[in-house]
Amino acid sequence: MTNDPIYNHLREVSWRQKLTNAEEVELRTWLATHPEVQADWQTESGLNAGLSRLPDAPVPSNFTARVLQAVEREAVAELSQPQGNWLTWLWLRWLPRTVFAAMAVGVGLLSFHQVQSTHRKKMIESVAAVSAVSSLPSPEILGDFDAIRALNPNPAPDEQLLAVLR
Amino acid sequence: MDDPDAALMLLVKQGDTSAFAELVDKYKQPVMNVAYRMLHDTMEAEDLAQAVFVQVFKSANRYQVSSKFSTWLFTIARNLCLNEIRRRSRHRTDSIETPHPELEDQPLHQFEDKQTASPPESLLHSELEAKIDEALAELPENQRLAIVLCRQDELSYEEIAGVMDCSVSAIKSLIHRGRETLKQTLKPYLQSGAWRGPE
Repeated sequence: MTNDPIYNHLREVSWRQKLTNAEEVELRTWLATHPEVQADWQTESGLNAGLSRLPDAPVPSNFTARVLQAVEREAVAELSQPQGNWLTWLWLRWLPRTVFAAMAVGVGLLSFHQVQSTHRKKMIESVAAVSAVSSLPSPEILGDFDAIRALNPNPAPDEQLLAVLR
Repeated sequence: MDDPDAALMLLVKQGDTSAFAELVDKYKQPVMNVAYRMLHDTMEAEDLAQAVFVQVFKSANRYQVSSKFSTWLFTIARNLCLNEIRRRSRHRTDSIETPHPELEDQPLHQFEDKQTASPPESLLHSELEAKIDEALAELPENQRLAIVLCRQDELSYEEIAGVMDCSVSAIKSLIHRGRETLKQTLKPYLQSGAWRGPE
């Protein structure tokens, strides 16, 4: 066995067809300088000869007529069942599209449901947070609400105390 | 249009059955050879070859004139062969090694050993052909198909690659591996030189 491109090329040609005279001469010349490949070529050519001797499979003399009859039968069968064939065609043509559309709608509904339930969950959490706030004070206290609100939330620093501390 | 078969297919597309008959006549032998070598059964090969041509007629509208007719034809033949081989393997009921239901030490099927110790010279070639046929049948289906298609004059390596839907180098590798197995199996015959001589 060799990786020589000339030999490999001729070997691959010989797998398909008988070598031409020119190719045969080229091979003989090459083999003369590479006697170690002679045995491999003997096996290759032996197998080529064996494969080419394989007899053709027997073909009945009326084969073509039988094929034409079969084609005719198929045509007649198709004509006699137009409705069934039309329905089959329609079914085969639309089935994948219908399945795809159903899957798309299903995925859409599922996503919508998911978004809705997330939204609902957030609402529940907000309501729970509001309900946790302590109850409002009595209305009497709320009567002074505006006055208290008007007071300065940041009283001025006690200068006297600061002086004493210093 | 370089391919005369493509011109005939254009006529077949228009419903011309005589053009179709011409194509069937031209390709029935190579298609039968491929079917027979793949299925190893004359009757099944005949049915399959017929189905190939019926499929050709039915799919004529889908045939692209840009592709070579023989490549398209053998692609259909290949697909139907592989379908049939798969169908067979699914419905295989018993093998020759299945034990007999009543005689447990005996196989279900028993075949006469037709091999004789020293065949007459006149039978030597047919015996060798039978051996190579058997060895071919034992190959994995893709190697077998590649080798069988390779022997078809109609197809180049590029076209075989198109039929088998793989690269040219992958095809050559399949053929090489298949041939190596054949060489091992048929070693005694190849070494004897019985096949050499005028082809």
